[in-house]
Amino acid sequence: MVGFLGANGAGKTTSLKIIMDFIRPTMGEVIFSSVLGTTREEIFRNIGFLPERPYFYQNLTGNDFLLFMGRLTDLDARTVSERVKVWAPRFKIDHALGRELKTYSKGMLQRIGFLATILHEPKIIILDEPLSGLDPIGRKELKDVIVEVHKAGKTVFFSSHIVPDIEEICDRVIFLKNGALAYDGSVSTLMKQAKVQDFTLTVQSPGELPPQVKFKQKLLLAEDLTRFTVSPDQKEVLLNHLVIEKKNIVSLEMMKPSLEEIFYNTRGTNDPQ
Amino acid sequence: MTLNKTLTIALYTFKEIWKSKILLNVFFIGMGLMVVTYVATEFTFGVPERVALDFGLGMLSLSSLGISLFLGVGLLSKEIESRTVYMVIARPVPRYAFILGKLIGLMGIQAVNVLILAIMTMSTTRFLGGEINGLIFWTVGFIFLESLMLLLVVVLLSLLANNILSVLFSLALLLLGHVIKDTQEISFVKDNPIAVKILEAYHFMLPAFYKLNLKDFVLYNNELPPSYLFGNLAYGILYSAFLLLAVVFLFQRKNLD
Repeated sequence: MVGFLGANGAGKTTSLKIIMDFIRPTMGEVIFSSVLGTTREEIFRNIGFLPERPYFYQNLTGNDFLLFMGRLTDLDARTVSERVKVWAPRFKIDHALGRELKTYSKGMLQRIGFLATILHEPKIIILDEPLSGLDPIGRKELKDVIVEVHKAGKTVFFSSHIVPDIEEICDRVIFLKNGALAYDGSVSTLMKQAKVQDFTLTVQSPGELPPQVKFKQKLLLAEDLTRFTVSPDQKEVLLNHLVIEKKNIVSLEMMKPSLEEIFYNTRGTNDPQ
Repeated sequence: MTLNKTLTIALYTFKEIWKSKILLNVFFIGMGLMVVTYVATEFTFGVPERVALDFGLGMLSLSSLGISLFLGVGLLSKEIESRTVYMVIARPVPRYAFILGKLIGLMGIQAVNVLILAIMTMSTTRFLGGEINGLIFWTVGFIFLESLMLLLVVVLLSLLANNILSVLFSLALLLLGHVIKDTQEISFVKDNPIAVKILEAYHFMLPAFYKLNLKDFVLYNNELPPSYLFGNLAYGILYSAFLLLAVVFLFQRKNLD
Protein backbone atom coordinates (compact mmCIF):
# COMPACT_ATOMS: atom_id res chain seq x y z
CA MET A 1 0.00 0.00 0.00
CA VAL A 2 1.65 3.17 -1.22
CA GLY A 3 0.63 6.57 0.11
CA PHE A 4 1.04 9.49 -2.26
CA LEU A 5 1.34 12.45 0.03
CA GLY A 6 1.54 16.16 -0.52
CA ALA A 7 -0.06 19.37 0.63
CA ASN A 8 -2.92 20.85 -1.38
CA GLY A 9 -1.45 22.13 -4.64
CA ALA A 10 1.69 19.94 -4.42
CA GLY A 11 0.78 18.29 -7.73
CA LYS A 12 -0.70 14.95 -6.68
CA THR A 13 -3.86 15.09 -8.78
CA THR A 14 -1.97 16.59 -11.72
CA SER A 15 0.55 13.71 -11.56
CA LEU A 16 -2.27 11.18 -11.51
CA LYS A 17 -4.02 12.87 -14.43
CA ILE A 18 -0.79 12.70 -16.42
CA ILE A 19 -0.31 9.02 -15.52
CA MET A 20 -3.87 8.27 -16.61
CA ASP A 21 -3.47 10.28 -19.85
CA PHE A 22 -6.23 12.75 -18.99
CA ILE A 23 -3.83 15.63 -19.52
CA ARG A 24 -0.52 15.82 -21.36
CA PRO A 25 2.72 16.72 -19.59
CA THR A 26 4.65 19.80 -20.71
CA MET A 27 7.83 17.73 -20.31
CA GLY A 28 8.87 14.24 -19.30
CA GLU A 29 7.20 10.91 -19.97
CA VAL A 30 5.27 8.24 -18.12
CA ILE A 31 6.80 4.77 -18.22
CA PHE A 32 4.67 1.82 -17.14
CA SER A 33 6.17 -1.41 -15.84
CA SER A 34 5.99 -4.24 -18.38
CA VAL A 35 4.20 -6.22 -15.64
CA LEU A 36 1.12 -4.15 -16.52
CA GLY A 37 1.43 -4.90 -20.22
CA THR A 38 2.95 -3.48 -23.35
CA THR A 39 0.03 -1.88 -25.18
CA ARG A 40 -2.16 0.95 -23.88
CA GLU A 41 -5.14 -1.38 -23.80
CA GLU A 42 -3.31 -4.03 -21.73
CA ILE A 43 -1.90 -1.45 -19.34
CA PHE A 44 -5.26 0.24 -18.73
CA ARG A 45 -6.94 -3.12 -18.27
CA ASN A 46 -4.57 -3.72 -15.36
CA ILE A 47 -5.20 -0.35 -13.72
CA GLY A 48 -8.18 0.53 -11.58
CA PHE A 49 -8.59 4.27 -11.10
CA LEU A 50 -11.00 6.15 -8.85
CA PRO A 51 -11.00 9.94 -9.29
CA GLU A 52 -11.42 12.40 -6.46
CA ARG A 53 -15.08 12.91 -5.48
CA PRO A 54 -16.53 11.16 -8.52
CA TYR A 55 -20.04 12.12 -9.55
CA PHE A 56 -21.55 9.22 -11.39
CA TYR A 57 -24.42 9.01 -13.87
CA GLN A 58 -27.28 10.00 -11.56
CA ASN A 59 -30.14 8.20 -13.25
CA LEU A 60 -28.46 4.80 -13.48
CA THR A 61 -28.98 2.29 -10.69
CA GLY A 62 -26.01 0.84 -8.82
CA ASN A 63 -26.38 -2.40 -10.79
CA ASP A 64 -26.57 -0.54 -14.13
CA PHE A 65 -23.46 1.43 -13.28
CA LEU A 66 -21.42 -1.62 -12.26
CA LEU A 67 -22.47 -3.53 -15.36
CA PHE A 68 -21.54 -0.51 -17.51
CA MET A 69 -18.10 -0.28 -15.90
CA GLY A 70 -17.62 -4.05 -16.16
CA ARG A 71 -18.51 -4.13 -19.85
CA LEU A 72 -15.93 -1.44 -20.56
CA THR A 73 -13.28 -3.82 -19.26
CA ASP A 74 -14.61 -6.72 -21.36
CA LEU A 75 -16.43 -8.49 -18.52
CA ASP A 76 -19.68 -10.25 -19.32
CA ALA A 77 -22.83 -9.72 -17.26
CA ARG A 78 -22.41 -13.05 -15.42
CA THR A 79 -18.86 -12.30 -14.28
CA VAL A 80 -19.88 -8.81 -13.15
CA SER A 81 -22.80 -10.25 -11.20
CA GLU A 82 -20.58 -12.89 -9.53
CA ARG A 83 -17.96 -10.34 -8.50
CA VAL A 84 -20.57 -7.87 -7.27
CA LYS A 85 -22.06 -10.66 -5.14
CA VAL A 86 -18.65 -11.22 -3.54
CA TRP A 87 -17.66 -7.61 -2.91
CA ALA A 88 -20.91 -5.64 -2.48
CA PRO A 89 -21.72 -7.05 1.00
CA ARG A 90 -18.16 -6.36 2.14
CA PHE A 91 -18.50 -2.78 0.89
CA LYS A 92 -21.90 -2.54 2.64
CA ILE A 93 -23.51 -1.45 -0.62
CA ASP A 94 -25.48 -4.57 -1.56
CA HIS A 95 -28.75 -3.22 -0.15
CA ALA A 96 -28.67 -0.16 -2.45
CA LEU A 97 -27.67 -1.64 -5.81
CA GLY A 98 -31.22 -1.45 -7.18
CA ARG A 99 -31.51 2.25 -6.39
CA GLU A 100 -30.58 5.17 -8.63
CA LEU A 101 -27.19 6.70 -7.87
CA LYS A 102 -28.74 10.11 -7.20
CA THR A 103 -30.16 8.68 -3.97
CA TYR A 104 -26.72 7.58 -2.68
CA SER A 105 -24.82 9.37 0.09
CA LYS A 106 -21.23 10.52 -0.52
CA GLY A 107 -19.87 7.51 1.34
CA MET A 108 -22.00 5.12 -0.68
CA LEU A 109 -20.87 6.77 -3.93
CA GLN A 110 -17.24 6.38 -2.90
CA ARG A 111 -17.80 2.73 -2.01
CA ILE A 112 -19.60 1.88 -5.24
CA GLY A 113 -16.95 3.83 -7.14
CA PHE A 114 -14.28 1.76 -5.42
CA LEU A 115 -16.19 -1.43 -6.20
CA ALA A 116 -16.31 -0.40 -9.88
CA THR A 117 -12.57 0.27 -9.69
CA ILE A 118 -11.68 -3.26 -8.58
CA LEU A 119 -14.36 -5.09 -10.56
CA HIS A 120 -12.02 -6.06 -13.40
CA GLU A 121 -9.37 -7.29 -10.92
CA PRO A 122 -6.66 -4.79 -11.87
CA LYS A 123 -3.06 -5.31 -10.76
CA ILE A 124 -2.75 -1.78 -9.44
CA ILE A 125 -5.45 0.40 -7.93
CA ILE A 126 -4.97 4.17 -8.03
CA LEU A 127 -7.16 6.23 -5.72
CA ASP A 128 -7.18 10.02 -5.81
CA GLU A 129 -8.13 11.43 -2.39
CA PRO A 130 -10.64 8.62 -1.79
CA LEU A 131 -11.44 9.80 1.71
CA SER A 132 -12.07 13.46 0.95
CA GLY A 133 -15.52 14.76 1.77
CA LEU A 134 -16.43 11.76 3.92
CA ASP A 135 -17.55 11.89 7.54
CA PRO A 136 -15.53 9.95 10.17
CA ILE A 137 -17.68 6.83 9.86
CA GLY A 138 -17.49 6.95 6.06
CA ARG A 139 -13.70 7.35 6.24
CA LYS A 140 -13.37 4.39 8.59
CA GLU A 141 -15.57 2.18 6.41
CA LEU A 142 -13.72 3.04 3.21
CA LYS A 143 -10.31 2.62 4.87
CA ASP A 144 -11.34 -0.85 6.05
CA VAL A 145 -12.39 -1.75 2.51
CA ILE A 146 -9.12 -0.46 1.02
CA VAL A 147 -7.12 -2.48 3.56
CA GLU A 148 -9.18 -5.57 2.77
CA VAL A 149 -8.56 -5.23 -0.97
CA HIS A 150 -4.84 -4.74 -0.30
CA LYS A 151 -4.81 -7.88 1.84
CA ALA A 152 -6.41 -9.71 -1.10
CA GLY A 153 -3.13 -9.08 -2.97
CA LYS A 154 -3.65 -5.80 -4.79
CA THR A 155 -1.19 -2.92 -4.97
CA VAL A 156 -2.97 0.23 -3.86
CA PHE A 157 -1.62 3.67 -4.72
CA PHE A 158 -3.49 6.12 -2.58
CA SER A 159 -3.18 9.89 -2.79
CA SER A 160 -4.04 12.07 0.18
CA HIS A 161 -3.05 15.28 1.89
CA ILE A 162 -4.10 13.88 5.26
CA VAL A 163 -1.00 12.36 6.83
CA PRO A 164 -2.62 10.27 9.60
CA ASP A 165 -4.61 8.35 6.95
CA ILE A 166 -1.40 7.41 5.18
CA GLU A 167 0.39 6.64 8.44
CA GLU A 168 -2.45 4.37 9.46
CA ILE A 169 -2.72 2.16 6.40
CA CYS A 170 0.30 2.57 4.11
CA ASP A 171 3.65 0.82 4.32
CA ARG A 172 5.37 2.91 1.68
CA VAL A 173 5.08 6.61 1.17
CA ILE A 174 5.91 9.05 -1.60
CA PHE A 175 6.07 12.71 -0.64
CA LEU A 176 5.51 15.32 -3.27
CA LYS A 177 6.48 18.88 -2.47
CA ASN A 178 6.08 21.79 -4.89
CA GLY A 179 5.68 19.35 -7.75
CA ALA A 180 8.91 17.46 -7.01
CA LEU A 181 9.69 14.21 -5.23
CA ALA A 182 10.74 14.86 -1.63
CA TYR A 183 10.78 11.28 -0.30
CA ASP A 184 10.13 7.78 -1.56
CA GLY A 185 10.51 4.89 0.87
CA SER A 186 8.99 2.94 3.69
CA VAL A 187 7.09 4.66 6.46
CA SER A 188 9.17 2.85 9.12
CA THR A 189 12.49 3.98 7.58
CA LEU A 190 11.26 7.53 7.52
CA MET A 191 10.24 7.30 11.16
CA LYS A 192 13.66 5.83 12.08
CA GLN A 193 15.49 8.52 10.13
CA ALA A 194 13.82 11.21 12.15
CA LYS A 195 16.08 12.80 14.76
CA VAL A 196 15.43 11.56 18.29
CA GLN A 197 13.59 14.33 19.92
CA ASP A 198 12.88 15.27 23.49
CA PHE A 199 11.92 13.17 26.52
CA THR A 200 9.15 13.63 29.00
CA LEU A 201 9.70 12.70 32.61
CA THR A 202 6.85 12.58 35.09
CA VAL A 203 7.83 12.82 38.76
CA GLN A 204 5.90 12.95 42.01
CA SER A 205 6.79 15.93 44.22
CA PRO A 206 10.10 16.79 42.51
CA GLY A 207 10.90 19.74 44.80
CA GLU A 208 13.34 22.44 43.68
CA LEU A 209 15.70 21.49 40.84
CA PRO A 210 19.37 22.54 40.96
CA PRO A 211 20.35 25.27 38.44
CA GLN A 212 22.44 22.85 36.28
CA VAL A 213 19.25 21.02 35.21
CA LYS A 214 17.81 22.77 32.17
CA PHE A 215 14.32 21.76 31.10
CA LYS A 216 12.26 22.94 28.15
CA GLN A 217 8.89 22.76 29.76
CA LYS A 218 7.43 22.10 33.19
CA LEU A 219 3.82 21.07 33.53
CA LEU A 220 2.03 20.68 36.86
CA LEU A 221 -0.40 17.77 36.80
CA ALA A 222 -2.94 16.45 39.29
CA GLU A 223 -1.94 14.48 42.42
CA ASP A 224 1.29 16.41 42.93
CA LEU A 225 2.75 15.15 39.66
CA THR A 226 5.02 17.27 37.50
CA ARG A 227 5.97 16.57 33.90
CA PHE A 228 9.30 17.89 32.56
CA THR A 229 10.22 18.05 28.90
CA VAL A 230 14.01 17.83 28.45
CA SER A 231 16.50 17.39 25.62
CA PRO A 232 18.37 14.02 25.34
CA ASP A 233 21.56 15.38 27.04
CA GLN A 234 19.62 16.96 29.90
CA LYS A 235 17.69 13.72 30.46
CA GLU A 236 20.74 12.13 32.22
CA VAL A 237 21.35 15.16 34.41
CA LEU A 238 17.75 15.28 35.56
CA LEU A 239 17.54 11.53 36.12
CA ASN A 240 20.75 11.55 38.23
CA HIS A 241 19.42 14.33 40.36
CA LEU A 242 16.06 12.60 40.90
CA VAL A 243 17.72 9.25 41.78
CA ILE A 244 20.08 10.90 44.27
CA GLU A 245 17.14 12.78 45.83
CA LYS A 246 15.15 9.51 45.91
CA LYS A 247 12.19 11.05 44.08
CA ASN A 248 9.35 8.91 42.76
CA ILE A 249 9.79 8.74 38.95
CA VAL A 250 6.42 7.81 37.46
CA SER A 251 7.35 7.63 33.76
CA LEU A 252 10.04 8.39 31.23
CA GLU A 253 9.02 8.60 27.57
CA MET A 254 10.75 9.48 24.31
CA MET A 255 8.68 11.94 22.29
CA LYS A 256 8.37 10.39 18.80
CA PRO A 257 7.69 12.82 15.98
CA SER A 258 4.54 12.00 14.03
CA LEU A 259 4.72 11.29 10.31
CA GLU A 260 3.00 14.62 9.84
CA GLU A 261 5.83 16.48 11.60
CA ILE A 262 8.43 14.58 9.57
CA PHE A 263 6.51 15.22 6.38
CA TYR A 264 6.34 18.95 6.85
CA ASN A 265 10.04 19.05 7.81
CA THR A 266 11.16 17.05 4.76
CA ARG A 267 12.99 19.27 2.32
CA GLY A 268 11.83 19.02 -1.27
CA THR A 269 14.19 19.38 -4.21
CA ASN A 270 12.38 22.54 -5.25
CA ASP A 271 12.66 24.15 -1.85
CA PRO A 272 14.79 27.25 -1.50
CA GLN A 273 18.16 26.41 0.12
CA MET B 1 -13.86 -4.94 -29.20
CA THR B 2 -13.73 -1.16 -29.56
CA LEU B 3 -17.04 -1.28 -31.42
CA ASN B 4 -18.56 -3.16 -28.46
CA LYS B 5 -17.32 -0.50 -26.07
CA THR B 6 -18.64 2.29 -28.29
CA LEU B 7 -22.05 0.63 -28.36
CA THR B 8 -21.94 0.04 -24.59
CA ILE B 9 -21.26 3.74 -24.00
CA ALA B 10 -24.05 4.58 -26.47
CA LEU B 11 -26.47 2.25 -24.67
CA TYR B 12 -25.79 3.70 -21.22
CA THR B 13 -25.86 7.29 -22.53
CA PHE B 14 -29.26 6.52 -24.00
CA LYS B 15 -30.39 4.90 -20.72
CA GLU B 16 -29.16 7.83 -18.64
CA ILE B 17 -31.01 10.41 -20.77
CA TRP B 18 -34.06 8.16 -21.13
CA LYS B 19 -34.35 7.84 -17.35
CA SER B 20 -34.05 11.61 -16.98
CA LYS B 21 -37.59 11.61 -18.44
CA ILE B 22 -36.78 14.12 -21.15
CA LEU B 23 -38.85 12.12 -23.59
CA LEU B 24 -41.84 12.55 -21.33
CA ASN B 25 -41.59 16.23 -22.25
CA VAL B 26 -41.52 15.23 -25.91
CA PHE B 27 -44.67 13.20 -25.40
CA PHE B 28 -46.40 16.20 -23.80
CA ILE B 29 -45.19 18.42 -26.64
CA GLY B 30 -46.79 15.92 -29.01
CA MET B 31 -50.07 15.93 -27.11
CA GLY B 32 -50.02 19.73 -26.95
CA LEU B 33 -49.29 19.82 -30.64
CA MET B 34 -52.38 17.77 -31.41
CA VAL B 35 -54.56 20.06 -29.30
CA VAL B 36 -53.08 23.23 -30.83
CA THR B 37 -53.51 21.77 -34.31
CA TYR B 38 -57.14 20.96 -33.61
CA VAL B 39 -57.79 24.49 -32.33
CA ALA B 40 -55.91 26.06 -35.27
CA THR B 41 -57.86 24.04 -37.84
CA GLU B 42 -61.07 25.50 -36.43
CA PHE B 43 -59.86 28.92 -37.59
CA THR B 44 -58.81 27.89 -41.08
CA PHE B 45 -60.90 27.27 -44.15
CA GLY B 46 -60.30 24.41 -46.47
CA VAL B 47 -56.78 23.34 -45.55
CA PRO B 48 -56.81 21.96 -41.99
CA GLU B 49 -54.49 19.10 -42.95
CA ARG B 50 -51.90 21.58 -44.18
CA VAL B 51 -52.06 23.46 -40.87
CA ALA B 52 -51.61 20.16 -39.03
CA LEU B 53 -48.57 19.31 -41.12
CA ASP B 54 -47.12 22.81 -40.74
CA PHE B 55 -47.50 22.79 -36.94
CA GLY B 56 -46.31 19.21 -36.66
CA LEU B 57 -43.15 19.58 -38.74
CA GLY B 58 -42.39 22.91 -37.08
CA MET B 59 -42.63 21.42 -33.59
CA LEU B 60 -40.66 18.36 -34.69
CA SER B 61 -37.91 20.60 -36.00
CA LEU B 62 -37.87 22.83 -32.90
CA SER B 63 -37.84 19.98 -30.39
CA SER B 64 -35.09 18.05 -32.18
CA LEU B 65 -32.94 21.16 -32.58
CA GLY B 66 -33.60 21.99 -28.90
CA ILE B 67 -32.47 18.51 -27.82
CA SER B 68 -29.32 18.81 -29.94
CA LEU B 69 -28.53 22.24 -28.61
CA PHE B 70 -29.23 21.84 -24.92
CA LEU B 71 -28.27 18.20 -24.38
CA GLY B 72 -25.40 18.43 -26.86
CA VAL B 73 -23.71 21.33 -25.09
CA GLY B 74 -23.42 19.31 -21.87
CA LEU B 75 -22.63 16.00 -23.55
CA LEU B 76 -18.88 16.37 -22.96
CA SER B 77 -18.53 19.40 -20.71
CA LYS B 78 -20.78 17.84 -18.05
CA GLU B 79 -18.76 14.62 -18.23
CA ILE B 80 -15.53 16.53 -17.73
CA GLU B 81 -16.89 18.76 -14.94
CA SER B 82 -18.33 15.84 -13.00
CA ARG B 83 -15.31 13.61 -13.73
CA THR B 84 -17.52 10.80 -15.02
CA VAL B 85 -15.33 10.80 -18.13
CA TYR B 86 -12.39 9.71 -15.95
CA MET B 87 -14.24 6.57 -14.87
CA VAL B 88 -14.68 5.60 -18.52
CA ILE B 89 -11.40 6.52 -20.18
CA ALA B 90 -9.34 5.21 -17.26
CA ARG B 91 -10.41 1.84 -18.67
CA PRO B 92 -9.15 0.31 -21.90
CA VAL B 93 -11.43 2.60 -23.91
CA PRO B 94 -9.99 4.88 -26.61
CA ARG B 95 -11.15 8.47 -26.45
CA TYR B 96 -12.72 8.27 -29.90
CA ALA B 97 -14.87 5.33 -28.74
CA PHE B 98 -16.06 7.43 -25.82
CA ILE B 99 -17.08 10.41 -27.93
CA LEU B 100 -18.67 8.23 -30.62
CA GLY B 101 -20.62 6.31 -27.97
CA LYS B 102 -21.90 9.52 -26.39
CA LEU B 103 -22.98 10.89 -29.78
CA ILE B 104 -24.69 7.66 -30.85
CA GLY B 105 -26.52 7.48 -27.49
CA LEU B 106 -27.83 11.02 -27.84
CA MET B 107 -28.78 10.43 -31.46
CA GLY B 108 -30.76 7.40 -30.26
CA ILE B 109 -32.76 9.74 -28.03
CA GLN B 110 -33.10 12.11 -30.96
CA ALA B 111 -34.39 9.25 -33.15
CA VAL B 112 -37.06 8.37 -30.56
CA ASN B 113 -38.06 12.05 -30.33
CA VAL B 114 -38.34 12.38 -34.11
CA LEU B 115 -40.24 9.10 -34.36
CA ILE B 116 -42.81 10.02 -31.68
CA LEU B 117 -43.50 13.49 -33.09
CA ALA B 118 -43.47 12.30 -36.72
CA ILE B 119 -46.04 9.60 -35.95
CA MET B 120 -48.24 12.12 -34.12
CA THR B 121 -47.92 14.66 -36.94
CA MET B 122 -48.70 12.16 -39.67
CA SER B 123 -51.60 10.67 -37.71
CA THR B 124 -53.14 14.12 -37.20
CA THR B 125 -52.61 15.04 -40.85
CA ARG B 126 -54.15 11.76 -42.01
CA PHE B 127 -57.03 12.17 -39.56
CA LEU B 128 -57.81 15.58 -41.05
CA GLY B 129 -57.84 14.13 -44.55
CA GLY B 130 -54.31 14.96 -45.65
CA GLU B 131 -52.17 12.73 -47.81
CA ILE B 132 -48.93 11.21 -46.53
CA ASN B 133 -46.50 11.32 -49.43
CA GLY B 134 -42.84 10.41 -49.78
CA LEU B 135 -41.69 13.99 -49.41
CA ILE B 136 -42.97 14.03 -45.81
CA PHE B 137 -40.66 11.13 -44.99
CA TRP B 138 -37.78 12.96 -46.68
CA THR B 139 -38.60 16.06 -44.61
CA VAL B 140 -38.60 14.09 -41.36
CA GLY B 141 -35.32 12.42 -42.35
CA PHE B 142 -33.77 15.79 -43.14
CA ILE B 143 -34.92 17.21 -39.77
CA PHE B 144 -33.09 14.30 -38.12
CA LEU B 145 -29.99 15.01 -40.21
CA GLU B 146 -30.18 18.72 -39.41
CA SER B 147 -30.37 17.96 -35.69
CA LEU B 148 -27.31 15.67 -36.06
CA MET B 149 -25.40 18.46 -37.80
CA LEU B 150 -26.38 20.95 -35.11
CA LEU B 151 -25.42 18.46 -32.39
CA LEU B 152 -21.96 18.06 -33.92
CA VAL B 153 -21.60 21.85 -34.25
CA VAL B 154 -22.48 22.45 -30.60
CA VAL B 155 -20.27 19.58 -29.35
CA LEU B 156 -17.38 20.91 -31.44
CA LEU B 157 -17.84 24.41 -30.05
CA SER B 158 -18.18 23.09 -26.50
CA LEU B 159 -14.67 21.67 -26.87
CA LEU B 160 -13.40 25.16 -27.68
CA ALA B 161 -15.54 27.55 -25.63
CA ASN B 162 -17.75 27.57 -22.55
CA ASN B 163 -21.33 26.31 -22.61
CA ILE B 164 -23.09 29.66 -22.98
CA LEU B 165 -20.89 30.78 -25.84
CA SER B 166 -21.22 27.37 -27.51
CA VAL B 167 -25.02 27.61 -27.47
CA LEU B 168 -24.99 31.22 -28.71
CA PHE B 169 -22.51 30.51 -31.52
CA SER B 170 -24.43 27.39 -32.53
CA LEU B 171 -27.71 29.31 -32.64
CA ALA B 172 -26.03 32.01 -34.73
CA LEU B 173 -24.68 29.38 -37.15
CA LEU B 174 -28.11 27.74 -37.33
CA LEU B 175 -29.81 31.02 -38.19
CA LEU B 176 -27.15 32.05 -40.68
CA GLY B 177 -27.18 28.58 -42.20
CA HIS B 178 -30.89 29.00 -42.91
CA VAL B 179 -30.73 32.50 -44.40
CA ILE B 180 -27.44 32.34 -46.29
CA LYS B 181 -29.04 31.38 -49.62
CA ASP B 182 -31.66 34.16 -49.45
CA THR B 183 -29.02 36.63 -48.36
CA GLN B 184 -26.98 35.82 -51.47
CA GLU B 185 -30.01 36.65 -53.58
CA ILE B 186 -30.39 40.18 -52.19
CA SER B 187 -29.54 42.71 -54.89
CA PHE B 188 -27.44 44.78 -52.49
CA VAL B 189 -25.22 41.75 -51.96
CA LYS B 190 -25.16 40.86 -55.64
CA ASP B 191 -23.93 44.35 -56.48
CA ASN B 192 -21.13 44.18 -53.92
CA PRO B 193 -18.28 41.88 -55.09
CA ILE B 194 -16.67 41.73 -51.64
CA ALA B 195 -19.95 40.70 -49.98
CA VAL B 196 -20.43 38.09 -52.71
CA LYS B 197 -16.98 36.63 -52.00
CA ILE B 198 -17.50 36.64 -48.22
CA LEU B 199 -20.87 34.91 -48.52
CA GLU B 200 -19.50 32.40 -51.01
CA ALA B 201 -16.70 31.55 -48.59
CA TYR B 202 -19.21 31.27 -45.74
CA HIS B 203 -21.44 29.07 -47.88
CA PHE B 204 -18.51 26.82 -48.71
CA MET B 205 -17.05 26.56 -45.19
CA LEU B 206 -19.90 26.76 -42.70
CA PRO B 207 -23.00 24.59 -42.41
CA ALA B 208 -25.72 25.45 -44.92
CA PHE B 209 -28.68 24.27 -42.86
CA TYR B 210 -31.19 25.54 -45.43
CA LYS B 211 -30.29 22.58 -47.64
CA LEU B 212 -31.95 20.28 -45.10
CA ASN B 213 -35.14 22.30 -44.82
CA LEU B 214 -37.88 20.79 -46.99
CA LYS B 215 -40.84 22.04 -44.97
CA ASP B 216 -41.91 24.72 -47.48
CA PHE B 217 -41.82 22.22 -50.34
CA VAL B 218 -43.86 19.63 -48.53
CA LEU B 219 -46.46 22.22 -47.43
CA TYR B 220 -47.01 23.57 -50.93
CA ASN B 221 -46.90 20.15 -52.58
CA ASN B 222 -43.93 21.07 -54.68
CA GLU B 223 -42.22 18.21 -56.40
CA LEU B 224 -38.52 17.91 -55.81
CA PRO B 225 -36.19 16.15 -58.25
CA PRO B 226 -34.31 13.16 -56.80
CA SER B 227 -31.01 14.88 -57.66
CA TYR B 228 -31.92 17.72 -55.27
CA LEU B 229 -32.91 15.33 -52.49
CA PHE B 230 -29.94 12.99 -52.86
CA GLY B 231 -27.52 15.89 -53.42
CA ASN B 232 -28.61 17.57 -50.19
CA LEU B 233 -28.64 14.25 -48.35
CA ALA B 234 -25.04 13.70 -49.44
CA TYR B 235 -24.18 17.24 -48.33
CA GLY B 236 -25.69 16.62 -44.87
CA ILE B 237 -23.92 13.29 -44.45
CA LEU B 238 -20.53 14.53 -45.68
CA TYR B 239 -20.68 17.74 -43.64
CA SER B 240 -21.63 15.72 -40.54
CA ALA B 241 -18.72 13.35 -41.21
CA PHE B 242 -16.38 16.34 -41.46
CA LEU B 243 -17.72 17.74 -38.16
CA LEU B 244 -17.40 14.32 -36.52
CA LEU B 245 -13.76 14.07 -37.59
CA ALA B 246 -13.11 17.54 -36.17
CA VAL B 247 -14.81 16.60 -32.86
CA VAL B 248 -12.79 13.37 -32.56
CA PHE B 249 -9.55 15.16 -33.50
CA LEU B 250 -10.08 17.87 -30.85
CA PHE B 251 -11.24 15.47 -28.14
CA GLN B 252 -8.22 13.20 -28.71
CA ARG B 253 -5.95 16.16 -27.95
CA LYS B 254 -7.96 17.89 -25.29
CA ASN B 255 -6.63 18.14 -21.75
CA LEU B 256 -9.44 16.79 -19.61
CA ASP B 257 -8.93 19.13 -16.65
